[in-house]
Amino acid sequence: MKINVVESVLKANDAVAQTNRRRMDETGILTINIMSAPGSGKTTLLERTIPALGTDTRCAVLVGDLQTTRDAERLGGVAAQVTQINTGKGCHLSATQVADGLDSLDLNKVDYLFIENVGNMVCPAAVNLGEHLRVVLLSVPEGEDKVAKYPTLFQPADAILLTKIDLSTVLEHNKTKVYEDISRVNSRATLIECSPRTGAGMQDWYDWLQRQRPERAGD
Amino acid sequence: MHELSIVNNLMPPLLRAAEEQGAVRIVEVELMCGVLQQVVPDALEMAFEAVAHGTIAEGAQLRVEEEALAGRCRNCKREYAPSIDDYICPNCGRAEPELTAGRDIVLKSVVCELPDEAVA
Repeated sequence: MKINVVESVLKANDAVAQTNRRRMDETGILTINIMSAPGSGKTTLLERTIPALGTDTRCAVLVGDLQTTRDAERLGGVAAQVTQINTGKGCHLSATQVADGLDSLDLNKVDYLFIENVGNMVCPAAVNLGEHLRVVLLSVPEGEDKVAKYPTLFQPADAILLTKIDLSTVLEHNKTKVYEDISRVNSRATLIECSPRTGAGMQDWYDWLQRQRPERAGD
Repeated sequence: MHELSIVNNLMPPLLRAAEEQGAVRIVEVELMCGVLQQVVPDALEMAFEAVAHGTIAEGAQLRVEEEALAGRCRNCKREYAPSIDDYICPNCGRAEPELTAGRDIVLKSVVCELPDEAVA
């Protein structure tokens, strides 16, 4: 016999994502899901960003990797609360892993929660974690064609950071090509060129982050 | 690459639907996958084989249909069908649709054997 079902397979994840979002909203936390290829500079970005936001701004990080606690160790020096989530063979964070991560944090002492997703340009884009905003990094050494090759990562981004901009000259990087590709998939995202290493462009990123919080108040 | 987690999420509603009917075996599973999920059918089948092993879904055939994108322009409200690498609105030229289709994965139907239909 044939049974018609019509049930979303993603429903279980999305239900947990909704609960995550509710917990964040109840405690006034702004949550940002940071995604990119491995090596684009997600951890370095956070190492620079968290101290720059000032001591009055309380930051927490959930950091996803297949293995090791190295990123959590790096970020432990700058963020008040850090939890490493090891996904084992998992190529992305799930809403349930984030829910467990939230359990490990004192949510009453967090203004910004950064979720550093597993470095991967395909799978994390398809999974709702309950975040408020999505930020995607693309580093100059990755070349000009990644937006065209991985459009699903860039399409839902609220901000796209072109990182390691200090390497543009030596790598003869053509950012115009990148921006043309972005204009085909996402004209809504704020585009920020920056180098966490040299500090170039970082103020634009901090200003963007700070602008997001009041807009979220009362959500 | 995320096909295994998709299959892990598929199994509970699939088994529930079949067991509610008293099925002894699942023969065929029909899925609709939004294009944004970037599901690789071979990888999905391999994951399904592994996860279904030892359940009443073991040996079932997966039929996967892809769901195209559909959306509504946030700027001019025009409804249109973006493609996965081009979201430009044909009316206003912006690329910022609110997507209404092409993202989800839906279990559409299950073909199963009831006890009196089972082949000995």
